Amino acid sequence: MPYQLPDSELNLRERLYFPEVIQGVGIIMKQFLRNFFFGRQKDPDVLARDRSLSQNATIAYPEERVPYPPAYRGLHRLVPREDGRPRCVACYMCATICPAQCIYIEAGEYPDDPIEKYPVKFVIDELRCVVCGFCVEACPKDAIRMDTGEHAPPSYTRAAQVWDEKRLLRGPPVSYQNDPWLRRGSPSISPEKLQEMRARAKPFPLNATDEYAQTPGFSVRALASEAKGK
Amino acid sequence: MRRFLGMVLFAICVPLSMVLLGRAVYWLVAGAEYLATSLGAPPTYGAAIANVILLMLVFVMTTAALLTIGERKWSAMIQNRIGPNRIRVFGNSAGGIFFLAADALKMLTKENINPSQRSRVLYELAPMAAFAPSFALFAVVPVGPAVDSVVNGVRTTVALQVANIDAGLLFVFGIASLAVYGTALAGWASNSKLAILGGVRASSQMISYEVSLGLALVGSMMAYQSLRLEEMVRAQGQLLWGFLPALGFFLQPVGLLVFFVSAFAETKRTPFDLPEGESEIVGYFVEYPGMKFGMLFLAEFIEVVVLAAITAAIFFGGWHPVLFEGWLRENLSPIWFASVCAGAFLTKVLLLCWLQLIVRWTLPRFRFDQIQKLCWKVLLPVALANVFITGALILVDPSLELLGLVGLVEIAAMAVITAAVSRKVEVPAHAHAAAAAVAGH
Repeated sequence: MPYQLPDSELNLRERLYFPEVIQGVGIIMKQFLRNFFFGRQKDPDVLARDRSLSQNATIAYPEERVPYPPAYRGLHRLVPREDGRPRCVACYMCATICPAQCIYIEAGEYPDDPIEKYPVKFVIDELRCVVCGFCVEACPKDAIRMDTGEHAPPSYTRAAQVWDEKRLLRGPPVSYQNDPWLRRGSPSISPEKLQEMRARAKPFPLNATDEYAQTPGFSVRALASEAKGK
Repeated sequence: MRRFLGMVLFAICVPLSMVLLGRAVYWLVAGAEYLATSLGAPPTYGAAIANVILLMLVFVMTTAALLTIGERKWSAMIQNRIGPNRIRVFGNSAGGIFFLAADALKMLTKENINPSQRSRVLYELAPMAAFAPSFALFAVVPVGPAVDSVVNGVRTTVALQVANIDAGLLFVFGIASLAVYGTALAGWASNSKLAILGGVRASSQMISYEVSLGLALVGSMMAYQSLRLEEMVRAQGQLLWGFLPALGFFLQPVGLLVFFVSAFAETKRTPFDLPEGESEIVGYFVEYPGMKFGMLFLAEFIEVVVLAAITAAIFFGGWHPVLFEGWLRENLSPIWFASVCAGAFLTKVLLLCWLQLIVRWTLPRFRFDQIQKLCWKVLLPVALANVFITGALILVDPSLELLGLVGLVEIAAMAVITAAVSRKVEVPAHAHAAAAAVAGH
């Protein structure tokens, strides 16, 4: 028990009962009136709300949502390159580390590029996924992320919870300077595209900085201030 | 800020709309009286019928139905929640009022499952027996003063009261005790062990509290020298020492307390809600489906409204506006003054309903032995002592001033005891943090 509750006999005033009841009714009335006359603040950041007037902490869920923290692990996505293909090189690291064994990969080769592999099939069973984020950490190519900020949406069939590479491949494309297909060139990428990708490439992040962890343009503070302004 | 202004506006509009409602009711009652007289009915018949329809059916039923929503919405405000707001018309939830329609629809369209071993007649009778008496109680409540009205040159006197009978309070006690039949029959006729437990609890509790309910009002009867509620209200208009209105609140504070508690027990609502209990016996209405349950449920809220009305009539000056009464009487036409009076009464009723809901959401329920102890060992002796003391004080000073003085002293003593600093529970600083640290969080 965090409190030391006194366990002594009630005194006469408390045994009269009605004074205490009247005090309690007063407290409840105060609470009623402050919530009656003053509305709830709609700041989704509940802890930042000013609760000196109304103490209502409700978030009316479907209309208002709590912004997820930047490191929130949501639905997976396969990170695309600028040419629309996944960055994934089918190395099986994620499938190997996955404790729920929910990732299934079939590797394939580009016919004109004997070195580089790509996933012919990349399937995640979202029903089995335990959302541990190991796949993201294991990936050497930053090809799988959990930064969508979404939950796996509900579905009527189990089959709909098995996400293949076509559904997983989405979001803003990413290129890094040390990507092998940029350094040595790839016959499957047209020269102009390669030029563009090289121009946009950034250094590979060595630690999980904001850019690595977050989708560009996603800001908790911006969401909160936006909701405050409403 | 918008909400604050809107709510202040709402709080101002409620009494004003009650005044307008009073004016409309006076107009309709006078019209009905004129119509009935011209059709050859004896005097006051038309007014009585109009009063039954307008006051009992429209006002009591509407208020009771709205209280079902009010209970949900107000409890939400008390507990820092939002409450029902999902049914919206043009994007506005209007305080959850639309849930009334949804509830009624749900009740009316539910499957009508009847227990096969029920006593058929009593089973069907019970919801009505619970519903009707609390409803009929409102017949003797004076909502507005009698006022002369002239319709088409015919002068009639109309009052917003269904029946101004001599028995008055005795009618109240008699009809209120009939309400026991509803719950007892519901428990018995369902042929269910849980229901009969609920019914037995309800009847024992209600019969016990009827004693203190009746005794609490004896003091008021003696003070106002009448059993008619209309005359009791009128007597509360007199002034003590020339400035203090002789409200029952000042003359009979102890009576008010005992009456309010006993009335609360009669409504079977939360501190006294042992007849129902979702976690143990479900309640005397466990076998009732759909709208039959709805009637038993609504009967509670009608009792809330009616007991608020009786409390307002006997202890809070009835239709006397109390504030600025002389000024209003001089500066308004009689019919508008009467409307203001009716509005004041209806506002008092609403405030007392609100107070009952506040109490209902403040207190946890009693244990059964505590209920009986409170009744027989506390309220009954206090009510008896109140009867004797009131009688003695009236005997000494028939002008009621001594009674008023003692009443004020009692109120002051109660205020002092209530405001006296209670024993503080000593909470060590950062008790939570320390506990969390120990638990390893």
